[in-house]
Amino acid sequence: MRDYILLYINGRQHKVVGEKAFMPLTDYLRYELGLCGTKVVCAEGDCGACTVMLGRVEDGALAYKPLNGCIQYLFQLDCTHIVTIEGLKLNGQLNPVQEAMVHCHGAQCGYCTPGFVVAMCAMFDDGESKSACQIKDGLTGNLCRCTGYEAIVKAGLSVDLSAWQSIDKLYPDAEIVKNFKQQIGESIHLKADDKEVSVPSSVAEACRFRSDNPQTVIISGGTDVSVNMNKRGLVPDFVMSVSNLAGLSDIVSSTDSEGRTLLEVGARVTLAELEAYISELDEELKYILWVFGSPQIRHAGTLAGNIANASPIADTPPFLFAMDAEIEVTGINGTRRIKMTQFYTGYKKLALQADELITKVIVPLPKKDELVKLYKVSRRQHLDISAFTAAIRLKLDKGKIESAAVAYGGVAAVVMRLPKVEQFLVGKDLTLDTCRQAGQLARQEVAPISDVRGSRDYRLTLAENIFIKFYHETKEKELVCR
Amino acid sequence: MSIMGKDIPHDSAVGHVSGESIYIDDMPPLRNELFVDFVGSPYAHGKLISIDLSVAREIPGVVGLFTHKDLAHNRLGPIIQDEPLLVEDEAMFVGEPVVVVAAETKSALAKAKKAIKIEMEELTPTLTVNEARERQLFLDREYAVKCGDVEAAFKEAKHTIEGTLVVGGADHFYLESQACLAIPGENDQIVVHSSTQAPSEIQHTAAHILGLQQNQVVCVTKRMGGGFGGKESQATHPGVMAALVAHKTKRPARMIYIKDDDMRYTGKRHPFQNDYKVAFDDNGIITALQVHFFADGGAYNDLSIAVLGRAITHVDNAYFVANAELKGRICRTNLPPNTAFRGFGGPQGVITMECIQEEIAAYLGIPSLDVRRRNVYGIEERNTTPYGQIVRNNNLPKLFDQIMKTSQFRDRLSKVEEFNSGSETHLKGISITAIKFGISFTNTMLNQANALVNVYLDGTVQVSTGATEMGQGVNTNIKMLVADELGIDPGDVIVMATSTEKNNNTSATAASAATDLNGSAAVNACRKIKSNLREVAARHIASTTPGIGAYPDGIKFDNGIVYDERRPDAKMTFKELVGLAYRSRASLGERGFYATKGIEFDWLAGKGSPFLYFTMGCAVSEVTIDKLTGDMKVDRIDILMDVGKSINPGINRGQIVGAFIQGMGWLTNEELKYTDKGHLLNYSPTTYKIPNIQDVPDAFHVDVIDNYNTPNVRGTKAVGEPPLLLAISVWTAVKHALSFVAGDELPCLSAPATNEEILGRITFYDNQDLLSKDGRGATSWRGEGANGAHYRSIGGLDIPTIKHGSLRPISESVAVGYDGASGNVNALGSRNGKKQRSSERPRQPAQ
Repeated sequence: MRDYILLYINGRQHKVVGEKAFMPLTDYLRYELGLCGTKVVCAEGDCGACTVMLGRVEDGALAYKPLNGCIQYLFQLDCTHIVTIEGLKLNGQLNPVQEAMVHCHGAQCGYCTPGFVVAMCAMFDDGESKSACQIKDGLTGNLCRCTGYEAIVKAGLSVDLSAWQSIDKLYPDAEIVKNFKQQIGESIHLKADDKEVSVPSSVAEACRFRSDNPQTVIISGGTDVSVNMNKRGLVPDFVMSVSNLAGLSDIVSSTDSEGRTLLEVGARVTLAELEAYISELDEELKYILWVFGSPQIRHAGTLAGNIANASPIADTPPFLFAMDAEIEVTGINGTRRIKMTQFYTGYKKLALQADELITKVIVPLPKKDELVKLYKVSRRQHLDISAFTAAIRLKLDKGKIESAAVAYGGVAAVVMRLPKVEQFLVGKDLTLDTCRQAGQLARQEVAPISDVRGSRDYRLTLAENIFIKFYHETKEKELVCR
Repeated sequence: MSIMGKDIPHDSAVGHVSGESIYIDDMPPLRNELFVDFVGSPYAHGKLISIDLSVAREIPGVVGLFTHKDLAHNRLGPIIQDEPLLVEDEAMFVGEPVVVVAAETKSALAKAKKAIKIEMEELTPTLTVNEARERQLFLDREYAVKCGDVEAAFKEAKHTIEGTLVVGGADHFYLESQACLAIPGENDQIVVHSSTQAPSEIQHTAAHILGLQQNQVVCVTKRMGGGFGGKESQATHPGVMAALVAHKTKRPARMIYIKDDDMRYTGKRHPFQNDYKVAFDDNGIITALQVHFFADGGAYNDLSIAVLGRAITHVDNAYFVANAELKGRICRTNLPPNTAFRGFGGPQGVITMECIQEEIAAYLGIPSLDVRRRNVYGIEERNTTPYGQIVRNNNLPKLFDQIMKTSQFRDRLSKVEEFNSGSETHLKGISITAIKFGISFTNTMLNQANALVNVYLDGTVQVSTGATEMGQGVNTNIKMLVADELGIDPGDVIVMATSTEKNNNTSATAASAATDLNGSAAVNACRKIKSNLREVAARHIASTTPGIGAYPDGIKFDNGIVYDERRPDAKMTFKELVGLAYRSRASLGERGFYATKGIEFDWLAGKGSPFLYFTMGCAVSEVTIDKLTGDMKVDRIDILMDVGKSINPGINRGQIVGAFIQGMGWLTNEELKYTDKGHLLNYSPTTYKIPNIQDVPDAFHVDVIDNYNTPNVRGTKAVGEPPLLLAISVWTAVKHALSFVAGDELPCLSAPATNEEILGRITFYDNQDLLSKDGRGATSWRGEGANGAHYRSIGGLDIPTIKHGSLRPISESVAVGYDGASGNVNALGSRNGKKQRSSERPRQPAQ
């Protein structure tokens, strides 16, 4: 059992003990180490000013990802190498990304700039040039109020990659990886004042800790829990970080008896890993993951976390509801499966026992003969939380609807299926009129509220209109641009 | 060779990209330093009954707790000093500071804040313009500009449109929240490092509130992580609070707002509600205009008077109006005092005019481009503004004609029409708008600046001015102006942190005029130094070159070389001359002063020529709307501007694009929502959505025309604010799109055009026939939400009904057009063969 968090920052080893292990990474960098290049603006992962590169061991080497430092607490960061803006120069000279940002006027006030530079360096770490589209996708998680982004995109397009030196060249990782491999199997327990954190290395141990400490807050990517700690006064007595749990990081694909592809997604699989895996398999899920948060969020957050969060406006559950996904949970007495549609028992309430953890999500993918469409309506298309979400899945037999699954989010306390609408649809021809009627029924079947993301009437209208949109998108594709 | 027009990097760029630039919170902690914060009013409107500090005082690490009783004076404000720093008896907005807290650790500070008990009686708050109008709650007086004979012109009107336009506010969302560090010195002196656009205001206000002399306080600003007007008057409060702690405890005191508090407790762009009435002929030419502005000023005056003034002087925008009555009032509401925000009331005036242009076009069924082009200010005639200033150097017609061609406007307009007739799911719109933005503070007094230029013995130069750097590149501009004037490399010039120790009584960096004013002052200082150097150089050359006498006027400075124009080979380096001058005991440091000439304005008469010149431009925007969700995407933006000669084209382009996108945010996704108790609901980027990199279209064309602007330094024009107003073209493009579904109605739209607002309008227009048939009434959309109380819980926080800036009844922004002069709603116009009618009369402009 270890009593410290082991991490490297810009190539230097740090062993963090006691109170400091309970700090957000950005506080540690700025106020303990004086590395003030990393800025904090929103402290909730919505602006990217705090972006750092975070390397974990993957296939024997460190793989670096851009993450929001403000919502990564040190106890989540065992066996990681953090590279900050201060660690990106090449022998004291600006690196090619930095050069491009200087010469293209990519910085004005400069406050967002370190975050952009780090995110951009992460993007270019593969040494490949990028299109404007790819650059925008890579920088979706970074807000700038001065430039209007044009100059930043231009900088991205003009990076001189011949002079690029990848992070693993800048920071040879053999020593670090060796050190991590020796230590990652060892569980960690830390205590400071009245706070306690456990970083178990096995699921069995994790279940025991959770069972022994029923108020335990489980933290994985931290994209939600850390925000609650930063902003909403969440001060958990017991925290368990699952970052070092072995065996939960794989996606396994299989085919069931009906020829349907099933994905078994481990609980530690990040949304970015899922996005990469799914990109050739399902356009709709790919789209939803594309508009999900930002690269920084998707590299930290997990599918299991998006489910466990139990938000009625989470982006992936409508798909999982409509596809009849299942959740594998593991407790002291073993493993069981819960249907996604039965996983929420109320607002933010889960059908989990006190000792259980989500260990896997079983996701059936749409078959070729099914029509599946996913919708997310939000104030801003990217890096925004939905006002309304929907998943519509129909199976047609010669133009007639043979089966229907409809799931909406943002219209009730939990994501819900719409059984009346589903019943109505079965046996009908897929016509505009059918969809209009289905929309009107849907409007009656939901009970949205007015809140900061949208009024009740807006959501009701969306609940109705989305079926008309579905009709046009599946029947008259040429008129639709997404 | 002149450095003017060179695209050199921003002077802080290298520091910015390497994370080495230092902001207030990055400055290393000082010995004994204290953390400072405040506890504010729990109510939007409340009567203070008692403050109990006894528990907080006992918390270990708490060093100071201060209330209004600890202040020598308790009033501040940039124009009218009506705002208390700390609440005395009546709190006027949620979070209005009551107690200033200082502690040795952040945790002690947090504990102390919780332990402070403020007892208040809750009073009824006024949260909207309408409520303030009903209750007759106004700040200051009415301001007005009048010209021509409005009454007669309306009597003879061929067509009339009356309407109300509701325009929302916006948060500045500078990335660096308000921040300052106050360091006490000996003899009650204080140095305040602040992220402010107005160091002198902090100096003057801190001295006043603490009972010090102004010469005891120095305010220093190295840079801001963004300002946009939000740190013009409102960096003062934290600056003074930190100074208070430093003064009372004799310990350094740092105050850094967290983003949530910054958004909740500081003022915004003014929401406006503008009642308008316009008369026009068959060609769409405006014959009379009446606009009555109602600005939401928030709780105190702050800069509202000047903001309203700029709305009034900018509502004409690029268009000539012979007969006009333009007046406005500032509504007093229980929200944080609204303040400067890039454009400063100008945008709220201009959007009203561009709204009118779009509605005239829809009413008459002619392209809005033609309506605008017909109304645009003339070169020789039709060139006087309603307040009497002649529009000189008018490039507006040229800008219109050029962008119409380069953007292929007419061709794209027909494609939009074609698309709309064929699509069941999407709508397109395209619109062109213009801007004529007056440069100079409307308060003539503020148009002055001073600069200090010091030359050192190695020939390098330090410049200090009152301009503050917030990313806009003013330091780079000034550096280039100084280098150009002295004929040296810009690498040999550093623009120093702004400090009231070096530059006194500085105007805020605002009104787009920082380079104009401070750059001119720096150039004047350089000229004095050059004059000193010329004497030395002339004497030296005369003494070393046979055959010529000393001729100071013939000494030239270029490319680091100084020479006599009669004998260019008789030369020396700038550095050599500096050494010579020092040995000759000539002054190598001078102060320059600049005051803008020939501007004046009389608000009592509403007449004058307040602006030295106008920055002009045009923009074309095209949008696509999803009819079923209201989602809107900007497809293409074209911008063409007259910004005079550029000092640095890269910096100017950054201003143009950045301002445009910022304006687009204000008019599309950025919507402030409050509870019915006056609490801001979206106080972080999770719920307040500024433009994201994905919102910027790939098709983004920016160009400038060639023009030398005679009255200003080096022929340049100010560029900070004007392009923000070009984003109004995005909003009018949405209006244009709506005109395809509005049927017999004028295409009305509030700002911002959120997806919810757009879907509301489409749903309303779609159901027109249906609604009138079944008699359900025309305004059912959003009625339910507005009337029913809906609560939800987020993280244990109960969020009650949204009150302000949301759930707008569809009738809030309305317009009706009719033929003739009277409000006869049966009179019909025609558009695309359809009849024009009204279902609902708007409010009459208030008298």
